[in-house]
Amino acid sequence: MGDLGDRVNVMGPQPMAKRSEIPAAMLEAARRVLEGLAAGDATGLAALAVPSGAGELAAVAAAVMPGTYDQHRIIATARINDHHYVKARLHGPRTEAFTVQFRLGEYAGEWRVWEAMNLTGKRGAWAR
Amino acid sequence: MQRMIPVERLAREDRMVLMRARKAREIREEQNLDDRVLPFDEEALRARMHGIFCGEVQAMEAAGRTLFDFPDAPWEFQLDMARQVWDESRHTEIFEGLLAYMGAEPGDYVETEVLWRCTQAADPAARVAGINRGLEGLACDVFEQLIRIAQKNGDEVIERAVDYVLADEITHVRMGSNWLRKLTEGDPERLKRAQEFQESIDEVFSFRGTRRAIEDVRDGNENIITIAREARMLAGFSEEEIERLIAASRKSAAY
Repeated sequence: MGDLGDRVNVMGPQPMAKRSEIPAAMLEAARRVLEGLAAGDATGLAALAVPSGAGELAAVAAAVMPGTYDQHRIIATARINDHHYVKARLHGPRTEAFTVQFRLGEYAGEWRVWEAMNLTGKRGAWAR
Repeated sequence: MQRMIPVERLAREDRMVLMRARKAREIREEQNLDDRVLPFDEEALRARMHGIFCGEVQAMEAAGRTLFDFPDAPWEFQLDMARQVWDESRHTEIFEGLLAYMGAEPGDYVETEVLWRCTQAADPAARVAGINRGLEGLACDVFEQLIRIAQKNGDEVIERAVDYVLADEITHVRMGSNWLRKLTEGDPERLKRAQEFQESIDEVFSFRGTRRAIEDVRDGNENIITIAREARMLAGFSEEEIERLIAASRKSAAY
């Protein structure tokens, strides 16, 4: 373990480990997924999913009305080992936000969607 | 306000991703990353710390719900539950501090619902048996392991912080032991039901050999949570109960 850092002028211990970086390539993949959802690009989205996750991603895409959303924001990224859950909202000027959660993991050297779910309009911790 | 709220109604900040423990385990197994082991892998320790942070949040919620769900319970019972809410909220802050110390933040890892799921009992005697004796007993096991890991790593920050929290957990288990006895006085059937509820929780956490007697852990494997005999004795567990836990861990499929 690393040392506790320079603690002369601070209250409490300094961080002993560096924050694990969120892979830039993962965030780029997330951006492509969100843009694909907003644009209703079913073909492009299919290419971003592993075979077992393609159906779920297509179901989420089917729930998005193309052209409705012009912005997106990632609100959570949570890891399970090397896979990352991304929770994000699509925003548009004339409608409520669309909330989506998907899991990204590497597959054949690229970041792909392993599962996806539509969390829009649901209550509680599973949904927000 | 609804009593016995299900896990999907727990409120969480946007940054948290909450899911079933079984699913999180399947995703871990799917990735087959066996080389990340405690005590020396920082990432494994960070993830463990995050899991405990989430556990403390759910323990705080559980004690609060017990206070709310049983308004007719004795006043002293309610006072103990209120004290526990306060303790767990401090623990939440302590583990948030330890997360920052480890270079992480709440929400960096998924949160699983397993602790909350274990709180759903309609009788206050079963509730304290399950939460205070089952889950807080598990906390004693987990914290003793963490202290041991911190000692091996020469990390006094984690060692001392967790030791303070462990002292509270022992008190919570003792509270549970006292209230289980008082609430079921003269009602052996109720006592039996409460104990069965606690045993069902103990079994969940002995499942797959993730918790064992220290003498059953080979090669100092720190990924295995050991049964904290001394802390449990301090908290009012009998030798017989501890032996029963050990026997349950030996029956698990993975052992």
